[in-house]
Amino acid sequence: MPPVASGEVDPTVFVSVGGDRVAGYMDDALSVYGQSNSLGAIFNTQLEVVGGTTYNQPMIADQSIGINLKDQSQLIMGYKTDCNNETSLSPVRKANQGSIGSWSQNLYATQGPFNNIGIPGISVLNVLSPGYSDPWYDRFRSGGSSAILSDVTSQNPTFVLCDLGTDDIMNYALSGGTGSPIPSAVGIAGVGFNGTYETIVNSISSSGAKGVLCNIPDITEFPYFTTIPYNGLTLDSANAATMNQVFNPLGITFVEGDNPFTVEDQNEPFGVRKLVEGELIHLGIPLDSVKCYGMGSIVPIPDEYVLSLDEINEIHTKTDQFNTIIGNISNNYNFALADFNSVFNSVSLGLTINGVSFSGEFVSGGFFSLDGRNPTPKGMAILANECIRAVNKKYNAIIPYASITDYSGVLFP
Amino acid sequence: MRKLCSLIFIIAALSVSAQGYQVNLQGQVQQGMGSAGSAFIQDASSLFYNPGGLVMLESNQVIVGMTPTFSNVTFTEDSTFLQANTESPVGTPFAVYGSFKLKDSSDLAFGLGVYTPFGSTVQWQEEWMGRFVLTRIKLMSIFFQPTVSYRINEKLGIGAGFVYSYGQVNLQKDIPIQFQDGSYANAELNGTGSGFGFNAGVYYAPMDLLSFGVSYRSKVDMNLSKGTATFTVPESLSDKFPSGDFTSSLPLPSVITGSFKVHPTEKLNIVGDVNYASWSAYDTLAFDYAENTESLEDTKSARMFENTFAFRFGGQYALNDAFQVRLGMTYALTPVQDGYLTPETPDANRINLTAGVGYRLNDNFNLDASVLVTQFSRHDKNLETNLSGRYETMVVSPGLSLTYQF
Repeated sequence: MPPVASGEVDPTVFVSVGGDRVAGYMDDALSVYGQSNSLGAIFNTQLEVVGGTTYNQPMIADQSIGINLKDQSQLIMGYKTDCNNETSLSPVRKANQGSIGSWSQNLYATQGPFNNIGIPGISVLNVLSPGYSDPWYDRFRSGGSSAILSDVTSQNPTFVLCDLGTDDIMNYALSGGTGSPIPSAVGIAGVGFNGTYETIVNSISSSGAKGVLCNIPDITEFPYFTTIPYNGLTLDSANAATMNQVFNPLGITFVEGDNPFTVEDQNEPFGVRKLVEGELIHLGIPLDSVKCYGMGSIVPIPDEYVLSLDEINEIHTKTDQFNTIIGNISNNYNFALADFNSVFNSVSLGLTINGVSFSGEFVSGGFFSLDGRNPTPKGMAILANECIRAVNKKYNAIIPYASITDYSGVLFP
Repeated sequence: MRKLCSLIFIIAALSVSAQGYQVNLQGQVQQGMGSAGSAFIQDASSLFYNPGGLVMLESNQVIVGMTPTFSNVTFTEDSTFLQANTESPVGTPFAVYGSFKLKDSSDLAFGLGVYTPFGSTVQWQEEWMGRFVLTRIKLMSIFFQPTVSYRINEKLGIGAGFVYSYGQVNLQKDIPIQFQDGSYANAELNGTGSGFGFNAGVYYAPMDLLSFGVSYRSKVDMNLSKGTATFTVPESLSDKFPSGDFTSSLPLPSVITGSFKVHPTEKLNIVGDVNYASWSAYDTLAFDYAENTESLEDTKSARMFENTFAFRFGGQYALNDAFQVRLGMTYALTPVQDGYLTPETPDANRINLTAGVGYRLNDNFNLDASVLVTQFSRHDKNLETNLSGRYETMVVSPGLSLTYQF
């Protein structure tokens, strides 16, 4: 066996901070299964080979079903009967209700401090704010006025994994561009991405800690946005004629065969238009409404389920700007840079590891979990290995990679 | 005798003891001398090594021999440093030869050889990191070779045999699809096939001191015309992986051999062979499934084997009328190019060291024993699977044969 080495990494106190991936959010819920396969958990397992120690996470109360902000359980593959009474293999909720007991108490006094400061959906701007509150953070915050960042630095970490920024962009995309805007790239701490991110890294670094910073993938390549085609409205000649009767007066025409779906658009004279190529529909769109109740045809798709070309452009611009900032800060503070953008990109193009092919396909691609936006444990291990690659290079360490084969993908009934 | 033969047939599974999936264990006398000896006609194993020399034998013979082969491969993965071992069963290459002349002075000899020149069984340990590439492959072939050899004159013999080959393939691997409990689906391909070819040779001994041999064993295409593919997958995906028939083929390459023997003293023989195997015939491993689905497409995996040489060298020294000792070595170049190494044939350039003894029990019976050891190591990253690491292989093959002459 080749020699292992920690190099310039001091693995004594490892802390991770970030959003969905750091928390282990997958299959549209936080679950013990996901937490056990969180980005930091997998990284720490490998760090243990060179002297790392325990990795304490604020575990979900119920072992098996998971929880999200809508009190739903995690998704699993199962059989779903749709409005046409057709039953097919599909992601379904594991239980009628999620692990709501997870909300009831703060775990810090009995179980803290926690090496994993992962808050699903966290905006980078909220990391600095004392007293910031959301249901995820409130489960394990160290005190009523604690800040996420102070819960990291107060542990005097020697090594930190920081995966922030993706959630800011994802939150915007999940709202179809209708919710809070993506933070501006430039601005002081608490306002702009660069000032905030630098303050975070500076605080971590000032006590001598080293770490790895993860950059941001192009989320428009995620199956959550790529699975439903913009022109999935298939009409026979009778339906096309009916649609034309309704829409021709608005200047919109349909043909027999494939047509773009209709979408709400306030900028159009009649508040509706057809989607154009390149626009993206959320996987979260109510599919029964599309199949049986005219959504996307007679009833335009609500704006919140669609990313327009302008919104996609905003996502790309901010992703590039944020990644430039993360890259510069990693250089300036001598932190390793995990290039998640390029890893996700190679997944989209098709990636083969030990004879297993990964792609960006929903369910069958193996990389993305059933929510279409967060990785499976296998996907998470691939990302953890990118962190290890970057750390080994930056700090002359020889930390072995996680064995992807040992982590799960999508499970089938 | 018949009972022994059928027993051997049943357990005939072969192993990773030479280049590619070729097994150079067809005669104990030659095995003791680095598997050289196409120009050294001592017994009926010349049926395999050089049919042209068969007629030079002075007696009728039956030889039964077997070479149990113990091998272990350790794979060390580059990225994880994790290791996996093979748990391959003992390989049992065998060779049975019979030769006879109608009468002692005849210029014509007939023979039948039954032997196992290609094959391997490689079984990787449970849940190893290459499980989606291969978990087990068992490839065996048995060649049946009726042969005629003709003596043109005292110095020159020619011979040729027709080869009928029967083979079995069993290939197993896991599929990266998981059941609810996290266990993986798997595929098992099972097939039998057959093929035809020939083995021809010329033997020339211009003087007592020196002899030469040239032999050519043709390519044999093993066609698996009706294999059975069995997929064990989660219930919800069973229609995507229909178990059923498949076809495939595997080329067993031609081998041409040039050989010499020097006989400087009464007691000493020195032999050298050069083999050239046309492995480039094995460029693709393809499986054509009778029923295709979006998940089950026909597969074509590049193997891209290259033609290779092997150099064999050895000697035999007679201690007395009854005892001979043998030593030899082989330097064999691998047909597997960088980027194409697979866990089914973790091959490398190698040096085999061999030794052997011969003992004459009486006028009718000889015992020959040999042992081959080799150890080699190769690092590669497979271009198709990206499986990347070092394979370290160790092989020990002790063998024994009994010759009856009359």
